[in-house]
Amino acid sequence: MLSNIIFLILAGFALSSSAFMIYAKQPINAALAFIVTLLSIAGLFALLGGGFLFLVQIIIYAGAVITLILFIIMFLNIKEENLPVEPYKGRWIIAMSLLVAPFSAILISTVHKMEFKALHLQEFGSIKDIGIEIFTQWVLPFEMISILLLIALIGVVILAKKEKENA
Amino acid sequence: MLNIEHFFILGILLFSIGIVGMVSRRNIFIMYMSIELMLNAVNLILVALSHHYADLNGQVMAMMIIAIAAAEASIFLALFVMLFKNARSLDANFFDLLKQEKHND
Repeated sequence: MLSNIIFLILAGFALSSSAFMIYAKQPINAALAFIVTLLSIAGLFALLGGGFLFLVQIIIYAGAVITLILFIIMFLNIKEENLPVEPYKGRWIIAMSLLVAPFSAILISTVHKMEFKALHLQEFGSIKDIGIEIFTQWVLPFEMISILLLIALIGVVILAKKEKENA
Repeated sequence: MLNIEHFFILGILLFSIGIVGMVSRRNIFIMYMSIELMLNAVNLILVALSHHYADLNGQVMAMMIIAIAAAEASIFLALFVMLFKNARSLDANFFDLLKQEKHND
């Protein structure tokens, strides 16, 4: 029963803050609303027994990615005239919602038709189990992700360097 | 009683909000955050399935997605800094270099 209440609260936070995020005018407000979304999703991970993913979500998303976004927003020193002029923002959002709603309704009704047992929420997937899983079955993807991160690092350095040559 | 269906519905709704934000906004920061929101919705569904089948593969997949999203974030933000220096705007409509060059031919 308690888990139902926690789920409802976290889902409400996630949905309302993400709705605010796509409506906000200032990017800084959107980023702050996005932190709330990410933290409530982290809470849902913890509710599903993923204690390690809860930590990873908070450290990498709320800790690193959002801090980077906030840092760049503040670094760019965005003024009012730099923001895009969106006079029909509300209409666009309503029209797109009406366009997307039937597809979500179809997906939700499909999910309704599936037979799932009730969840028995408990801790499973300790850090040790996840580590064993990563370093036995997922070694190759793990190493490929390290190469991907290296490529991203080099790409960012090259992007920044080109800008200096142009200036 | 809490069911996996509820997590599926929440994931679908978050994904739809991400699509709406991606298409209807022109501020590149908000478009980027909508993409991240969609990735998070998929992560939520993966973790829910992982819990439902008591199989850790879903959680490991979600971790891989988080790592890829971190790599993506660094490149996106470096691009934003470059684009902002060139155009002095966050409007996605200004960034049509490829289209413009085709027109000039």
